[in-house]
Amino acid sequence: MALRELSSLEKYLGLKKPNKYTTQGDRKVPVLQNNNGPPLVGLVTVACHLVKESKRPELLGDGAEGRAVVQQWLEYRVTKLDGSSKEETRAILKELNSYLEDKVYFAGHQITLADIFMYHGTHSLMVDLSVQEREQFVNVTRWFDHVQHVRGLRHHLTPVAVLRNRIYTSRHH
Amino acid sequence: MIKEEVQGATEEEQQAQSKKALKKQQKEAEKAAKKAEKQAKLAADQQSTEEDDFAKDRYGVSAMVQSQQKLDRALVKVEDLTLEKVDQLLWVRARVHTSRAKGKQCFLVLRQQQFNVQALVAVGDRASKQMVKFAANITKESIVDVEAVVRRVEQKIESCSQQDIELHIERIFVISQAEPRLPLQLDDAVRPDGEGEEEGRATVNQDTRLDNRVIDLRTTTSQAIFRLQSGVCQLFRDTLTKKGFVEIQTPKIISAASEGGANVFTVSYFKTSAYLAQSPQLYKQMCICADFDKVFCVGPVFRAEDSNTHRHLTEFVGLDIEMAFNYHYHEVIDSITDTMVQIFKGLRDNFQTEIQTVNKQFPSEPFKFLEPTLRLEFQEAVAMLREAGVEMGDEEDLSTPNEKLLGRLVKEKYDTDFYVLDKYPLAVRPFYTMPDPNNPKYSNSYDMFMRGEEILSGAQRVHDAELLTERALHHQIDLEKIKAYIDSFRYGAPPHGGGGIGLERVCMLYLGLHNVRQTSMFPRDPKRLTP
Repeated sequence: MALRELSSLEKYLGLKKPNKYTTQGDRKVPVLQNNNGPPLVGLVTVACHLVKESKRPELLGDGAEGRAVVQQWLEYRVTKLDGSSKEETRAILKELNSYLEDKVYFAGHQITLADIFMYHGTHSLMVDLSVQEREQFVNVTRWFDHVQHVRGLRHHLTPVAVLRNRIYTSRHH
Repeated sequence: MIKEEVQGATEEEQQAQSKKALKKQQKEAEKAAKKAEKQAKLAADQQSTEEDDFAKDRYGVSAMVQSQQKLDRALVKVEDLTLEKVDQLLWVRARVHTSRAKGKQCFLVLRQQQFNVQALVAVGDRASKQMVKFAANITKESIVDVEAVVRRVEQKIESCSQQDIELHIERIFVISQAEPRLPLQLDDAVRPDGEGEEEGRATVNQDTRLDNRVIDLRTTTSQAIFRLQSGVCQLFRDTLTKKGFVEIQTPKIISAASEGGANVFTVSYFKTSAYLAQSPQLYKQMCICADFDKVFCVGPVFRAEDSNTHRHLTEFVGLDIEMAFNYHYHEVIDSITDTMVQIFKGLRDNFQTEIQTVNKQFPSEPFKFLEPTLRLEFQEAVAMLREAGVEMGDEEDLSTPNEKLLGRLVKEKYDTDFYVLDKYPLAVRPFYTMPDPNNPKYSNSYDMFMRGEEILSGAQRVHDAELLTERALHHQIDLEKIKAYIDSFRYGAPPHGGGGIGLERVCMLYLGLHNVRQTSMFPRDPKRLTP
């Protein structure tokens, strides 16, 4: 999974030459053997390296605060989102829903690596949600739909159908 | 030596024992004396009070009504106790809903069906202390006759349906006494979900309600539901009769399953076996062949489906329609949808009180419908679902979740809770369904939905014996068993169509309830055969 995600990221970043990865340990942690340095280990580490290589540092956040927020969500993705149980995912979606209430992207007004990471991390959850649940987590759904339509980002992942109007909370009260 | 000692010891013991016993006896005697004294005093008290009680003819437990006398006494309905009746002395028969005594007064809430009124017994020149005490001790749900004066109240009584007046009781007689312990409290049974949770108040779960259905049916909510249900039947009959339909009665014990053999009840029938009718399908069609032109039928239908869902019963009331048409089966759809619309309108216009009563416990949005009724084709529905991200095949039947989702999508787009879905795939319909002349994969069949749940299934039927035989063979049905049915089409049969509606489902969905057992008076499901 992680390797596919990295190659999808490479394509989004417009890196011409695809890297070769290996995995390490039971949890298949991705490893990038760098030509002129020590190997890079871990999804977040490798992804940050790719972003730097593509010369698009804005994807790692603007200013010290922005960078910290991006790092925080990258961390959230790999520690909380990945490998969460079914009960936990509902709590997570609720949490994300209230966080995204007043935001377009995870870190402010521009797309960052945090959005790309969270998009990949939440994709399997969003596919499984019913129409009613997608409406329940309306802010997550809005953000997700926005990100999946960013040019070149969706890549191998299936599109998730999202209704633009609410059908469960009635406007006839 | 040792023996003596032992003897001595036992003697001593005996002595001690007898001392103890003596004391005990004495104590007991004292106790008994006190008790006797008390009893004597109580009796004397009672006697004196009985003698003192000037109102003793004004209350009590009446002799069992065995039709001894024809009293010329008008009993006024609680519903009619309004400001118009102020200062009148009149008689009322009602149940004691609650009673609470407060010093020299006792407040009662008297209930009659879904109406209730506050009543008051107060010590004065009409009522004695003993009468108030008696009134306070009447068990809940007992039936009483009271003679009382209607009085205007300063402040509206919010907890009662008759808010502007109260009754000042002058006489009160118990006609039927309820046992002091009730299996469930009526107030608990009408409490909306979630309300009173902070105060730790109880709600009654559905099984307890159904186990004690007689009491549960007394709640204002149940009273309203079943009055409205009676209204549905009435409106159904009236509308169809006006349209020139004839009401028919069909047998429920039949020799062959009408729609697939899996879900029928088998009953032993002398030396052979028979089935309980799943629908009057075959019989209403035979009536069409017998020139009745337009028929309907209200009666029980049976389904042996072992499904324990919120909307399945094993016995329910079917409202069935069958009619001959001229050239196109949409004539039938129009006739049925118009009937449904007349029912919705009749309920909206004549049953507002009942609807609001149910809404108090089970809030829901008012039921919406369009005129003329919206008709969608199956393929349009599939397209709408696909747009919402549902993956399904062209000829696949709608699953329950998809039906519900479609209902929501339709509500959003057209703002209606009632619509018809036309042109179902032929493969998912019974053998007697007429294929679509333009596309043999589809059929001239339709379902009708209320709030996204199916209430009616219908179709144009095959009225040609040859085609019918062919379709039956395709469905691998034993021709021998349906010979009489197929033969009825051999002697000239008009084109016809129809449908069957579940009464309980219509009531449930009209009121926006969540379980069909709420609209079935004595529900039957795979796990419930009583009461």
